[in-house]
Amino acid sequence: MTFFISGGAKNGKSTLAQNLAVSLAKGKTHYYVATMIPVDDEDRLRIQRHIEDREGLGFTTLECGRNILSCLEHAEPKATFLLDSVTALLMNELFREDQGYQMDLEAARRCGEDLETFAKTVGNAVFVSDYIASDAGRYDETTEQYRKILADIDRRLARACDTVVEVSAGQYIIHKGALPL
Amino acid sequence: MILIIGGAYQGKLEYAKAAFSLKDSDIFTCTGKEVDLSRKCVYALEEFCFACVQAGEEPADFFRKHRQEIQNSILICQDIFCGVVPMGADVREWRQATGRLCQYLASEADQVIRIFCGLEQKLK
Repeated sequence: MTFFISGGAKNGKSTLAQNLAVSLAKGKTHYYVATMIPVDDEDRLRIQRHIEDREGLGFTTLECGRNILSCLEHAEPKATFLLDSVTALLMNELFREDQGYQMDLEAARRCGEDLETFAKTVGNAVFVSDYIASDAGRYDETTEQYRKILADIDRRLARACDTVVEVSAGQYIIHKGALPL
Repeated sequence: MILIIGGAYQGKLEYAKAAFSLKDSDIFTCTGKEVDLSRKCVYALEEFCFACVQAGEEPADFFRKHRQEIQNSILICQDIFCGVVPMGADVREWRQATGRLCQYLASEADQVIRIFCGLEQKLK
């Protein structure tokens, strides 16, 4: 089973995703695919909070900030995977320090394809993304492109996944499929 | 009349084309204050609103005036309502005026559909 979870910031997406992954794993191996590549103390603090949140839930952490399919080389592919988040992964793919943070559109295109392949390959997958499409910004070209690419990947995953849930204030709006909780 | 709303790049037009068998020639895409209501579908109402606000006009007034002509229309507007209050006064007014228009159209509409990640959610 595959799940796509999105919604606004701090609404309970990660909590739902963790509970789902644990429940889907049925006591077997479940991986937490950590996508954030920390650059400062703020990032490290956020990561620490997420690690504490996951404590006792039995996740094996896979660090994978880019090339998402590569994490399957060190994992049981038919296990349960929680990928948090699509947004962080895309940021890492799009903007690389060693490329002077120039937007890498080819990497973004591959990232979308890889995520769909990932969803179709693994036993169970839970994807967490961020919904940033409903503000009144008139952005510069780069930001607008980022919004479009993220939305394209979200739509692709929403199409590929069995269940699509929008989380708002800890409540679940089910757009497709069902939640087995 | 059917009102379709949803965030940027969520697949509103693609959905409308598939759900209502629209051809490209059925669709009018707003880029300014001009709207061709003879087309079955009017897309990017938020751009119409932006142009109205810049000209000091109330976008909802136009649709109130042409109420009879939109009875069978499919109208598509971007949801621009959920961010922080915009810094620029003109963008603030744009958001407000677009919101007023959507509320008016939603009250008149037979159906209101929200698109989220390409998926429809029936609101009315």
